[in-house]
Amino acid sequence: MERADNNRSVTAGDTASDTRATQRQGLLDEIKGLRHFSNRGLFALSLFLVVSTLAWRNFPYLPRPEAIVASLGPPPTSQIISMVLILYTFSAIILSLCRMMASIRHRSSFCHVGYLSVFYFFYYLADGLADNYWAVFGAGFTILLMESYRIWTYCNEGIIKKTEQLAYLERTGRLPLDDSPSDI
Amino acid sequence: MFDKIAGRALVPVGIVVTGFLIVCFLLLYSAIKTVVVQDSVGHANNLAGIVLKSTRYAMLKSDRELNSAIVQNISQQKGVEHVRIFSKTGIVAFSSNAGEVNRQVDKKAEGCILCHAKNEPITTLGNMEKARTFKNSVGEDVLAITTPIYNEPECSEAACHVHPSTQKVLGTLDIGLSQDATLNSLSSIRGQMALFSVLTLILTMAGVIALLKMIVLQPMRKLQEYTERSELNSSLEHPSNLPYELDKIAKSYYFIRNKLEEVEQKAANTGKHL
Repeated sequence: MERADNNRSVTAGDTASDTRATQRQGLLDEIKGLRHFSNRGLFALSLFLVVSTLAWRNFPYLPRPEAIVASLGPPPTSQIISMVLILYTFSAIILSLCRMMASIRHRSSFCHVGYLSVFYFFYYLADGLADNYWAVFGAGFTILLMESYRIWTYCNEGIIKKTEQLAYLERTGRLPLDDSPSDI
Repeated sequence: MFDKIAGRALVPVGIVVTGFLIVCFLLLYSAIKTVVVQDSVGHANNLAGIVLKSTRYAMLKSDRELNSAIVQNISQQKGVEHVRIFSKTGIVAFSSNAGEVNRQVDKKAEGCILCHAKNEPITTLGNMEKARTFKNSVGEDVLAITTPIYNEPECSEAACHVHPSTQKVLGTLDIGLSQDATLNSLSSIRGQMALFSVLTLILTMAGVIALLKMIVLQPMRKLQEYTERSELNSSLEHPSNLPYELDKIAKSYYFIRNKLEEVEQKAANTGKHL
């Protein structure tokens, strides 16, 4: 009888130890994931710089604008593209600030590289790339820098929170009651 | 830098305001430049029209001397770089530079290729298509207008030198204008816009920093100083004139501090009795 009780307590101890190890590993994985995610903005910024370099060289791998215009039809004028660029920059910055305020995890950086490449492409077709290159570059750099900062601060806060949870787990053997692992 | 409130608050504001201002500046300047260049091309086209009207009578009379005099006089006007009139075959008939007269022009040269790219030359062009820009031998920017001289009934029916009525274009006028005035205007506009943008940026950042310091940082410092001093002096009153949120924190801290003091005194009294 006594031996059975001992066996039961050993099994319960093993289960608690397993749960603790699983929670510890989960937290470590989440910290690793956040560290990886925090670089996302910088990767997007690097990709944008590559696209900007191609645009600076007037897209050497694309057919001439005349050939594209002949098959697709005339593009919008540079003025219309510029107005849309201002609207887009304004909206993107406001969205980024709102996400920063609400602490929302959002993977939007690479979409912006796509949108900005489209602006480069339209200016290329409208023969206005030389005049408006720096405007697109400035818009892209601002938006992606803002997104990088948002993602970096979000991940930094998450890493601090997870590290505190990990320290609490090491100290007490359980996670803090008010912090669920899915918070961040 | 990012540990403090000022750093965390000012970095996004700085990025957003500076970036958006630069983008707006560049796009606005590009739009203004387009308008100024279009205006300049419009003026150059008008001038080309005036030259054609001025030489029309002399051409009808086939008066080479009068034509040369008109071309020379116009080219002496400030800002006019060159004036040339080509025949249908591309030979310079009149020019402000006497050395060019009777020379053949290559139809593949810049300014000619636009119409002569195909076997059948184009005979009508829009205002912007007539214009081209290049640097002259001394490195100055020149805006040139190449405009066709069309055949008119007076030309084809004239007794002196008959052109067939089927010939649509009789020759070409090429007039080059110095771009110095336009570029100076653009440079002045660019400078003023840059100054305005920098002033706006400085004012915005100064406003944000001043408000942040007044509304957040100074009350936070008061609260910080209060908590630090109350560790040494527990009877210290909490600071007044704090914003609502910070005032609540200060009052809570004051309340906890007093409770702690009471508990400590009780514990001390109990210890004495024992």
